Amino acid sequence: MRESDVIVIGSGFAGLIAAAAADKRGKKVTVLSKGVGTLTIGGGTIDLLGYGNDGRPLANPAAGLAAIEPAHPYKKIGSPAIYAAIKFFLAICESAGYPYLGRLEEMKWIPTAAGTLKPTCLVPKTMDTTCLKSAHTVYAAGFQGLKDYYPHLVAKNLSKLPGYDKNYEIVMVNPHFTDGRDVSALDVARWLDTGTGRKECIRQLVKKVKAGAVILMPPVLGTSPDYQVLEEMETALDCRLVETVAIPPSVTGFRLRSMMLNYLKTAGVRIIEQVSVARAIMEKGKCLGVVTQNIDRERTYYAKNFILANGGFYGGGLRAEPGQAIEPIFNLPVEAPAKQEEWGNRQLFSPEKQSFAKIGITVDNKMRPLAPNGSIAIENIFIAGRNLRGYDFCFEKSGNGVALASGYQAAMSV
Amino acid sequence: MECKTKGSSVTSFQGRGNSVEKATVVVIGGGATGVGILRDLAMRGVDVLLLEQRDLVYGSSSRYHGLLHSGGRYAVKDAAAGKECIEENTILRKIGKHCVEATEGFFIRLPEDDKAFEEKWVEGCRKVGIPAIPISPEEAWRLEPNLTRRIQSVYRVPDAAIDGFRMAWQNVASARRYGGRVRTYTEVIGIEQSNNQVVGVTVRNFFTGEVEKIACDFVVSAAGSWAGEIAGLAGIKVHVQPDRGTLLAFNHRLSSRIINRLRPASDGDIFVPHGSITILGTTSSPAESPEDNLPSTQEVLAMMKIGEATFENLGQYRLLRAFTGTRPLYSADPSAKGRGASRNFVILDHEKDNVKGFASIVGGKFTTYRLMAEKMSDLVCRQLKVTAPCRTAEEPLVEDPSPGLLEKARHYFPAYGTELAASRLGAERLEKVVQSMEQDPEKRQLVCECENITLAEVEAAAQDSTSHCLSDVRRKTRLGMGTCQGAFCTFRSVGVADSQNLTWGQDTNKLLQEFLQGRWNGIRPILWGNTLREAELTRGIYAGMLNINGVIDNEGK
Amino acid sequence: MKMYQHNPDNCTACTACVSQCPVTAVTRKFRGPKMVGPALERLRLSQEDAEPSLEYCSNCKNCDMACPSGVPISTLNMLARAKSFKNRKHSLGEELLAHGEKMAKLAVNLPGGAFFANMGMHIGSGLGLMRMVGITGQRSLPAYAAESFLSQFKKLRQQIFPDKVVFYPGCFINYNDPQVGMDFVAVMQANRYEVIVEEEFVCCGSPMVVTGYLAEAEQHAEKNSELIKKWREKSVPVITCCTSCGLMLKQEYQELYDIEGLAENAKNLYDACEFLLLLADKGKLNTQFAALEEKVIYHAPCHLRAQGFGLPALDLLEFIPGLTVENADAGCCGLSGNYGFKADKYDISMDIGERLFARIKGSGTATAVSDCGTCRLQIAHGAGVAAVHPVTLLRQAYQR
Repeated sequence: MRESDVIVIGSGFAGLIAAAAADKRGKKVTVLSKGVGTLTIGGGTIDLLGYGNDGRPLANPAAGLAAIEPAHPYKKIGSPAIYAAIKFFLAICESAGYPYLGRLEEMKWIPTAAGTLKPTCLVPKTMDTTCLKSAHTVYAAGFQGLKDYYPHLVAKNLSKLPGYDKNYEIVMVNPHFTDGRDVSALDVARWLDTGTGRKECIRQLVKKVKAGAVILMPPVLGTSPDYQVLEEMETALDCRLVETVAIPPSVTGFRLRSMMLNYLKTAGVRIIEQVSVARAIMEKGKCLGVVTQNIDRERTYYAKNFILANGGFYGGGLRAEPGQAIEPIFNLPVEAPAKQEEWGNRQLFSPEKQSFAKIGITVDNKMRPLAPNGSIAIENIFIAGRNLRGYDFCFEKSGNGVALASGYQAAMSV
Repeated sequence: MECKTKGSSVTSFQGRGNSVEKATVVVIGGGATGVGILRDLAMRGVDVLLLEQRDLVYGSSSRYHGLLHSGGRYAVKDAAAGKECIEENTILRKIGKHCVEATEGFFIRLPEDDKAFEEKWVEGCRKVGIPAIPISPEEAWRLEPNLTRRIQSVYRVPDAAIDGFRMAWQNVASARRYGGRVRTYTEVIGIEQSNNQVVGVTVRNFFTGEVEKIACDFVVSAAGSWAGEIAGLAGIKVHVQPDRGTLLAFNHRLSSRIINRLRPASDGDIFVPHGSITILGTTSSPAESPEDNLPSTQEVLAMMKIGEATFENLGQYRLLRAFTGTRPLYSADPSAKGRGASRNFVILDHEKDNVKGFASIVGGKFTTYRLMAEKMSDLVCRQLKVTAPCRTAEEPLVEDPSPGLLEKARHYFPAYGTELAASRLGAERLEKVVQSMEQDPEKRQLVCECENITLAEVEAAAQDSTSHCLSDVRRKTRLGMGTCQGAFCTFRSVGVADSQNLTWGQDTNKLLQEFLQGRWNGIRPILWGNTLREAELTRGIYAGMLNINGVIDNEGK
Repeated sequence: MKMYQHNPDNCTACTACVSQCPVTAVTRKFRGPKMVGPALERLRLSQEDAEPSLEYCSNCKNCDMACPSGVPISTLNMLARAKSFKNRKHSLGEELLAHGEKMAKLAVNLPGGAFFANMGMHIGSGLGLMRMVGITGQRSLPAYAAESFLSQFKKLRQQIFPDKVVFYPGCFINYNDPQVGMDFVAVMQANRYEVIVEEEFVCCGSPMVVTGYLAEAEQHAEKNSELIKKWREKSVPVITCCTSCGLMLKQEYQELYDIEGLAENAKNLYDACEFLLLLADKGKLNTQFAALEEKVIYHAPCHLRAQGFGLPALDLLEFIPGLTVENADAGCCGLSGNYGFKADKYDISMDIGERLFARIKGSGTATAVSDCGTCRLQIAHGAGVAAVHPVTLLRQAYQR
């Protein structure tokens, strides 16, 4: 019988971080993965905490953490672990040659494809907005045929925001995508992955932009977790380039995921794809192994500890039925409003957090699941990511932030 | 919750400059009956203007299951209604080829359904003239493999699916060719009389709150569930009891045919395939007001339970949304309620109430909208001494696109896009859309990938004078009505609206929020399973990533 | 709940599949898995039409693996492809590529057949005959072996052991690469198993399914399933060395066909490396390996990854002393069964494989290892490196 020290269920950001952190501690780690998680959907920024419960922006994430409510996963994890998680993540990025910027004491407001700003914490260098502050002329660049990005919309809305009343000019790049399917940001990024694509893009832009300006880009600066495209274009154009946050597929998320996978595989972490974990083998309140149910047969994977990072409702870690929420593998207790009408507020963009978003598993400060009476439900299971109870990542802008901190904390607890 | 930017300041009572708009006949209400009357009168040469408080089919005409009855449902209880249905069904299939999908229908009897009713029903159909052809359950399963295996008997009837949005839109297109006019987002707030004779109406612009007068000789109220309120403006009592009906839209076609239960009309027992989706309806309960149109989870669960008798795997299919409409049940006797009330229509000439030049049409059902319009128009024409006969039963609503145009369209539309676009657009508009795609290949892109809606079509719909927000564009195109319920196309269509320089396309965050809130109203009552997952994705994109609603302060410093 | 449903309802349109599709990554001719799969499936249920870019799906299954919602995207595509052939005819090239087994039988049953068939293919591609029927002239069709696996196997005298396994060779091993089959038998013998080869087995049907011959493949599925059932009832495991055959027998049969006993059969089907690793888990693997002082690079076939039990070859090869195995981890090789043999798909196939070729060339190893026969062909063609099945290395290590 082969046994891992740690089995991580789920390969979204929380699972990948948990696996990396457990590996770093010298554990033998196996990741059981179904699907690619939401990184390629949701973008490559690490939002830590942008808004308080009143919907007011926080001065910085650290200030928000200081006042966080007891039920929030951040409160359970605690500030020291959150600092350590960030340090751990930044070190991975650094070693991968794809360094991220940011710290807890600073709120980063980054431009989006809707021409809004969004508060975040850690970003790739392609999203460094420092240069925007002093810029007079900002070029809003778009790519012909890229239906997921409208530079005019970005420029028009940004120009109304305090500190963003710049001289905006729209510049369009024609990637000459004449035939075939509709263009996505990934297509443009893959075009810029190629030397010819970059050259052509630079050739077109250099005629339209003045040196020393800032160019706001859709997130298309290459698919590899490095800054080759950014650096080559910035040098050739003598401009600063800033990627905005846009709708899926997310190129920045794709880069982040590739970086994490490369890191784990190099470290020797086993990742088993396309497995659905169906149930657990339990003995005396401990989990001995998990059973995967594939179309052919069941397989059992044994480990000393398990990190459950398979997402919330979206990822499949939680299942919603009318009036109840279920954790399908271990049948862990999940609290949910019994009245279905109370799951969602009347307004989608409500001034309050959405109940359905906060549904999840209650944990202690080691990320162990708790029973309703406050006792530990299963002692060698640790929860990380969206299946945690008590936070609304959309409302407070903590997407990837809770995943990072809880994934790290779970790995530290095994 | 669509286009919710109601103007608040009512300016002084005034016309537009010096010239007061005039029409011979004003029709109030842009539902099925209203657009039918608009078309009928316009075709008879009458100068007619239709006023709708919001967008066309904002009320009940888009909030029903879209079934063009064969009459089978009324065959036992109300033979006259059944007969009207089969006659109108035959006419609409002919004139409305582009909004009617001739799916045919099944009436299926399950073990728990009364066998004696089946006999009565067969006899009723025979008497009314509804062809009901018995087939074996095995044949039914071959044709519709997802159907329950518990079927006892099956009959084929000429039911069809009719698209409420498209039907209204095409009636208007036809009326416009004859000089008929439409103003949407125009609320009637007063009926002007002089010596007990109607001389005009007072209207308010929904967005700006601007008030103006429109002069006319005759007012027709086809306001459906709002008919009581409109009559009240002239001091007349008309008793319309709105009755709630909630419906469910499923993500794909569960069957190719309409499936009815062979039993007395009851809740949640008709499935209607519509293009890419299936609609299950409906419930019946008294509504508090015509605007009482938010579905409840309880209604949804009750219908799911009933529906599972027809499709056992119903729980595994994806619910897209729930929606509620109000049936405008009219009764001279206010005590009759719900399905007990008559579904027949009544024309009330308010001359009897001492107001000349004002009539209301109440009750009825979508299937007979054309007949209702004909009868109402007959009355108007008699009074206006117009002798032209009704021609709405002969002339098609929109012309068929030529084979050449269709061929050309196929070249530019994506697969599975041409036929649907052609039937949505009709020949004239299709030609324009194809032209735009021909000139600029970028216009061939799909704004809505679930329902296959091209940029060219979205632009054309956005530019129409009756479009004032993205939900109006949605009703014309089916934008955002498929699997993702706007998760992707909302952003794209806002980008398109912004680039079109439309007066209503300026505040883009408002556009995004309005459209998504409209979708949310139908999603919130069914927040479980894949519907919840999709909602999380949508919210993740617009709130989590794009922060379209978040407060921004001080950051630029 | 049934895991695989043919309805598109689990799709949320999230685009995760688009981000992982190797075909989409190199060509815009394919509209991508989400559009062609679940998005169009809803429309296919409502009207008649055809999506021309459907033919660009290579059925590599990376979309299925990427999907966070468990949508069997590639299967929706294959079903739609089969449906599309109701209104059009197969080209000669498609017919040839779908029926490798038939062609092989014709060729090798003639005296000197394999030799002349290979000559013929050579001449055919030289004269552009292949290209005329839609088969690329830029790569050779896999050559037929002088003697098929079955024929070699029949001459083999095995040691008799109480433990037995049934080997499903599949067309490629039987006709083109019999050595893999012989190596497998030797490895099983070294582990005190007797190998039974069921002569009645037919082509798994995978090349037919991807070419739209769904009904014909169903006949194969019925035939094979009956035989697998026979051995299942005797509790003798059935083992494949070809990951595409394995995927077809276990999974795609269940997704595509309603044949009795498929789910039970699947429980009795094993990939060779997985089976050997299970022996190791039970402490039953013969680990008397001699050292192989060699560095090799391993390529995981998509159709192995799609089966959801990881990469057993990597764990297994660790038992061989001296052997250094590097995981290429470079995605799809691009050949995907008969996809890269089609004239209009050749460039796409090579563009997909480029990352893998570069990785192998950059590794400085002379030998690549992969469980899939067509992956091995593509590696040899694109990276110019000999590629072997993991069991071949195991056999070498047993024999030294």
